[in-house]
Amino acid sequence: MEEKRHTSAEYERELQEIKDRLLYMGALTEKALENGSVALLERNAELAEMIVREDDKLDQLDVALEEKCIRLLALRQPAARDLRFITTAIKITGHLERIGDMAANIAEKVLILNDFPQIKPYVDLPRMVGIVRGMIRKSLDALVREDIELSRQVREEDTVIDQINDQLFRELLTFMMEDPRKIQVCLYIMQISKSLERIADHAESIADMVVYMVTGKSVRHKSFS
Amino acid sequence: MKIRLFYKLFIAFAAIGFLTTLITEFLIERHLRSGLVRQVEMEMISEADIIALMPMEKIMEQGVALSERTRSRLTLIDFTGRVIKDSESHAADLDNHLNRPEIQQARLKGKGSSSRYSQSLQAEMFYVAVLIGDQKQPKGYIRLSRSLQEVNNSISALRKSIMQGLFLVVFLSLLIALLFSFGMISPIRKLAAFTEKIRTGKISGQIRIQSRDEIGKLADNINEMVEVLYEKIRKADEEKRKLEAVFAGMSEGVAVLDTEDRIESVNRGMEELTGQTAANMTGMTILEAFRNVELHDLLERFRKTETIVCREILLGEDRPVTMDVTISGMRGETSNGRKTILVFHDMTRLKMLERIRTDFVANVTHEIRTPLTAILGFVETLEQGAVDDKSKTLEFLQIIRDNALRLNRLVDDLLILSGIEMGEIGLHPERVTPVEALERVLLLVEARISEKKLKILNEINEKTSAIRADKDRLVQILINILDNAIKFTPFGGEIAVSASPGAEGFLIIRITDTGVGIPKGEIPRLGERFYRVDKTRSREMGGTGLGLSIVKHLMKAHGGWIGIDSTLGHGTTVSLHFPIFRDSELCMLQGTIEENRIAP
Repeated sequence: MEEKRHTSAEYERELQEIKDRLLYMGALTEKALENGSVALLERNAELAEMIVREDDKLDQLDVALEEKCIRLLALRQPAARDLRFITTAIKITGHLERIGDMAANIAEKVLILNDFPQIKPYVDLPRMVGIVRGMIRKSLDALVREDIELSRQVREEDTVIDQINDQLFRELLTFMMEDPRKIQVCLYIMQISKSLERIADHAESIADMVVYMVTGKSVRHKSFS
Repeated sequence: MKIRLFYKLFIAFAAIGFLTTLITEFLIERHLRSGLVRQVEMEMISEADIIALMPMEKIMEQGVALSERTRSRLTLIDFTGRVIKDSESHAADLDNHLNRPEIQQARLKGKGSSSRYSQSLQAEMFYVAVLIGDQKQPKGYIRLSRSLQEVNNSISALRKSIMQGLFLVVFLSLLIALLFSFGMISPIRKLAAFTEKIRTGKISGQIRIQSRDEIGKLADNINEMVEVLYEKIRKADEEKRKLEAVFAGMSEGVAVLDTEDRIESVNRGMEELTGQTAANMTGMTILEAFRNVELHDLLERFRKTETIVCREILLGEDRPVTMDVTISGMRGETSNGRKTILVFHDMTRLKMLERIRTDFVANVTHEIRTPLTAILGFVETLEQGAVDDKSKTLEFLQIIRDNALRLNRLVDDLLILSGIEMGEIGLHPERVTPVEALERVLLLVEARISEKKLKILNEINEKTSAIRADKDRLVQILINILDNAIKFTPFGGEIAVSASPGAEGFLIIRITDTGVGIPKGEIPRLGERFYRVDKTRSREMGGTGLGLSIVKHLMKAHGGWIGIDSTLGHGTTVSLHFPIFRDSELCMLQGTIEENRIAP
């Protein structure tokens, strides 16, 4: 009995560790995004370079976490909710890693943009970063608190991001038509916006998986069904 | 306490009494029986001896009579064992008696005895036999037999009385057990009730037990123990309360992590810093509660190094605040049970002060250098030959003079400001009617108002209640505010001055313009020295950037305050809250005036 309780406590701790690692990765991506935004606004090349460097950390964490999850699956053979949690964690860590890559991409674009004069004050991009950060945070909060309501909020915010992205696209299009010399800069800005939009999609996927984890029902690709 | 002490004592006493009585009975019965039997034997032998002295014929004749005399059955047996005469049955019916044990003994020793159960009489019988004649020529045997019924009877009588005694023993032991148990149990019960009360935490008074035996000693010990315990609990309670008060009262946020690294408790300061409730945070890990990379890394570093770590961390999403976080360990009772304490110190205010100070130094040097550069530049130009051109020289000198004046204004303002801030400028509060102060001010700015074709709407008149203020300073305040209004109101705009009673005992003087307005976010920073909303523009207009700062401090020195409300593009309203002058204050005020006059 004593032995059993011990192992179950150990098991609980391992599950919590997975949860914590996910949160840590989430916090890292959030920080990378925020720093990216600051680097863009302040034209800070040093900060942007740091983001690109730190992406390695996320990649390593992703690999380590996936290994840990698989080990846990093999050794403990979890069932029901725990099984859903661990499989979900494996997928979420992949998404977070992708988000990290995108943040690094954005930072690279910021580095390039720094070499050009600013064509207009950045308003939409920082706003998008703020919303996307919130989405990542909320999707992981949903995971921690097993709160489906938060997942719903993330889905709603994704549509906002899509709208801003479209609006920015139109705006940049007019800039490009007005002055062909601005095309290069506008394209880079467009790429940043696109990356942010894709990060939002990843955050939404995480939120959907949390719904699956809590309820056992899949809500992904609802629009297709 | 299923088997009560009483039953235990009772059973013990009863068992002792019972066993003693039984053993006694057994011993007495055995001795009594053997004694009685021996007596019967001796009696019967002597009777048989007497009968044996008689001639055989006589015995034959008088056998029955003899038998009656001796209360025994008499049997005459010849030396071959054949029964010659029997007092109770026909001799012919009886078999040969020679091998009976008593006859055998008598044949060898002269007399013999034995006891056995007689089948013919259905009773335990005692037999004695005596040899007639001598051993060489035995003539026969006299045998007497008697029932042992008498002996048995007397023994059973004895048994009966002992049985009665046994009942008495049981009854007595019951009584004794009752007495003993009551004597012993009542103090023990008292002790039990007392200790029960202590167990539930109601420590009060002492227990009183009269007896001087072990129980009395035990009661004394318990009393002493309770006293010591009570003192210790009281001290611990006091200590706990003290710590709780410190924990709750400190402005720093404190979070305690349990051995599983989950938040065990947070204090009020922590709730205020994070905006989350304690109930919400407890049970979470640090990552769950804060989602902060730096904080997590700091905690990891603490785990690795096991020494106190400290770092400035930016916490929060929308409005990040700088926190000075210190992590230290708390040694638990067990070696693995180590708790962690996180202390969050809000550095926002300190950071802000630091920023204001560095801004100030940067601004001051900048403000001084701008006119100085102009002065130096034009002086150099003059030196390099421009001095020969008279019109140019006058123009340049004018510019140099303007810049020197600006420097002078700046230094003046700075001196005033530091003077007010350090409390060195004495105020002479007196009864002032706003209208007289305003008239003085309007006189001073008249030229500039008409220059910009501004419309002044003055609602302040003689009826406006008097306020308590230093007249010169009031003029200074109003000039500063009106100056700003004029500066930032476009050509042909409107400036309204009005007054209305404000909070209890205060008059609000409002100066409203239709100027450019101030962005909402900038309003809190307006009082900072050299703070400018639009940096280039206001400098062009010749301001030092110190005006509002001076007003703010002067209002504070007057016991009032300044409020600014603005809509970007539509205009700004400045509200000056002055204490209303009361007639009853007159005497008191004169006292302060005197004092203020004495002060340098």
